[in-house]
Amino acid sequence: MIEHGPLLERLLAGEFICAVSDENAFRHLTNEETREAIDSYLRPLNRRLASNDEGSVYFLAWRQLNEAARDQLSRQLGETVNSLLPLLEWLQLVQEALGRDTLAAPGDVLKPAEFSAKCEDNQSLRERLERLATDSFFGSQSDQLDAQVKQLFKRLKEHGYLLQPHTERQVFVVTGKIDYLIEVVRFIRDEENLPIDAEREEGTQEALL
Amino acid sequence: MNELESRLLKTGAERLALLGKHAERLMQGYTRDDVPLEGLSDGALRKLLAARVLWRPDEQSGVKLAPKVRDLIAEMLADETRRHVNADVAETLELVRSLVDSYREARSRGEHWRQEQQLLRLRQEVDDLNGRFADAIDSLWQRLNSDFGFVSQLNDKIRENDRAQKQIVRLLDGLALIDFDELIELVGSDGSLRKLLISQLQHRLSHHYTSLREVQRRLIELMARFRKQQARSRLISGMVAFMREHPGFVPGNYAKRSEVPNLFNHAAPLSAAASPALDRVLESRVLAELLHELPIPRHAAQTVESAVPTLTPEDNLAAARQQALKLDVERFYLAVLDQPQTEPVSALAYLKESHLEWPGEIWLFQVIAEYQGLPRREQQAFHLHQQETKASTFNDLRLIHDVALAVAV
Repeated sequence: MIEHGPLLERLLAGEFICAVSDENAFRHLTNEETREAIDSYLRPLNRRLASNDEGSVYFLAWRQLNEAARDQLSRQLGETVNSLLPLLEWLQLVQEALGRDTLAAPGDVLKPAEFSAKCEDNQSLRERLERLATDSFFGSQSDQLDAQVKQLFKRLKEHGYLLQPHTERQVFVVTGKIDYLIEVVRFIRDEENLPIDAEREEGTQEALL
Repeated sequence: MNELESRLLKTGAERLALLGKHAERLMQGYTRDDVPLEGLSDGALRKLLAARVLWRPDEQSGVKLAPKVRDLIAEMLADETRRHVNADVAETLELVRSLVDSYREARSRGEHWRQEQQLLRLRQEVDDLNGRFADAIDSLWQRLNSDFGFVSQLNDKIRENDRAQKQIVRLLDGLALIDFDELIELVGSDGSLRKLLISQLQHRLSHHYTSLREVQRRLIELMARFRKQQARSRLISGMVAFMREHPGFVPGNYAKRSEVPNLFNHAAPLSAAASPALDRVLESRVLAELLHELPIPRHAAQTVESAVPTLTPEDNLAAARQQALKLDVERFYLAVLDQPQTEPVSALAYLKESHLEWPGEIWLFQVIAEYQGLPRREQQAFHLHQQETKASTFNDLRLIHDVALAVAV
């Protein structure tokens, strides 16, 4: 267990562990024996190891749900729901601004400078960025474009959606927590029967093999 | 070398040279609808048409590149948008059968030269067939490895992937047409035919087959990834549109269900804190070392020896009292700033409410002194109202009963 000390600390601190945020730890977590060992270690702390459906991010869940745990989860759910729209709008904005044909995915590299430059040249992107940055989730107080972009990236890093490999360099990497976010959206859509375009049958192609 | 062959060589070389001579014009024809004819002499045009480098669909329309030339250019440029994949196995097999028949005929008649010629053509046909498969597979790999980078939109990538998969199916169908049992029967006991049409061909085709299956598998994987990305984009834009239309939307409280969905069960953070402990001898030594390694705090040098006025203990006490009074008055100022309304606050009332033990007179004195001690700009932030009366009708001495402090709006 000793060698997993740092990993346990990160998990206990509420972090999401994915192949981007900690490649080494993630590889250990894909091993079932390690997962079981960590699980039994966490038992007295009323926690267990959990992952998203895809298995691309690991985090800690309550082992037994008492009232206090449920209250905490309710509050957390409220925060997640409140942050949903700004986060999703950010994903769309990045995709459009950088002219990509797909949403940002784990491992993608994002540069605030590039993002600023694209928004600067385009009035509509500029306005959307402004609206997004001043949203209470991102909470920018500035009316300067660069400061707004900086705040966006700062908040996303704080929430674990982005990783900054070198503090002195303004280059960010998208983490696996994005996968988690998208699964949350999918879950809410299915659970609440929201009238959102049903996805095309995923995986039928793979099934043909 | 016979006459026929030398004539063939000469004409072929002449016509190939046409491609080089008109290279730029032909490339313009490749990128546009028609080949531009300005500056091209009638004679040159006739030669290009005769060599089937160009063709004219009808009298009215412009002159176009012949499809084979277009294919050749696409092949040379590895231009994946226009590269054709066509193995045409059935026709090759027909040709192989008739060549084998004619080879046999020549052999039975003892016509060695014709026999050699037929064998050469057979070899060329087999090489061509191989080449076509190899080209097609190369083109497929190129597209796959670039993630279909030659088109920018995801939808186009999905369409291109689909097209590539259909090409693979056609190529595999083509491979299936080659029936080795039939070929074995066809070649009979002839050693050179057997080597060419059975062992070599079989070896190469099985190699192509493996490659095609591999490309197919990878294309399907890539397609699944494309579809997943497409599904994600749709999901996100759908959810954004929905939430904008329904600003008050709140999903159910999944945390209160008997079975909390896995996704929403994210335990509260727990920090694994630790403090220095001195209960183990060995560790206390480590701690002592750490302590020694701490950077030495830099205190301003104090000159102990210099003479100072003597201070009696009473003086010290009075200074401390004075300091405490000053602090309490500052708190009063802060309290005035903090209170929501901008109404004046009576200094004496505050003194009483706060259970402070300062005599009223001293308190008021300090409140006024504090006000006067403020820098001009900060003074303007407050209104100090003195509640005062004359000492008597004939004495204009003013007595201050209380002061009220308010935030200037």
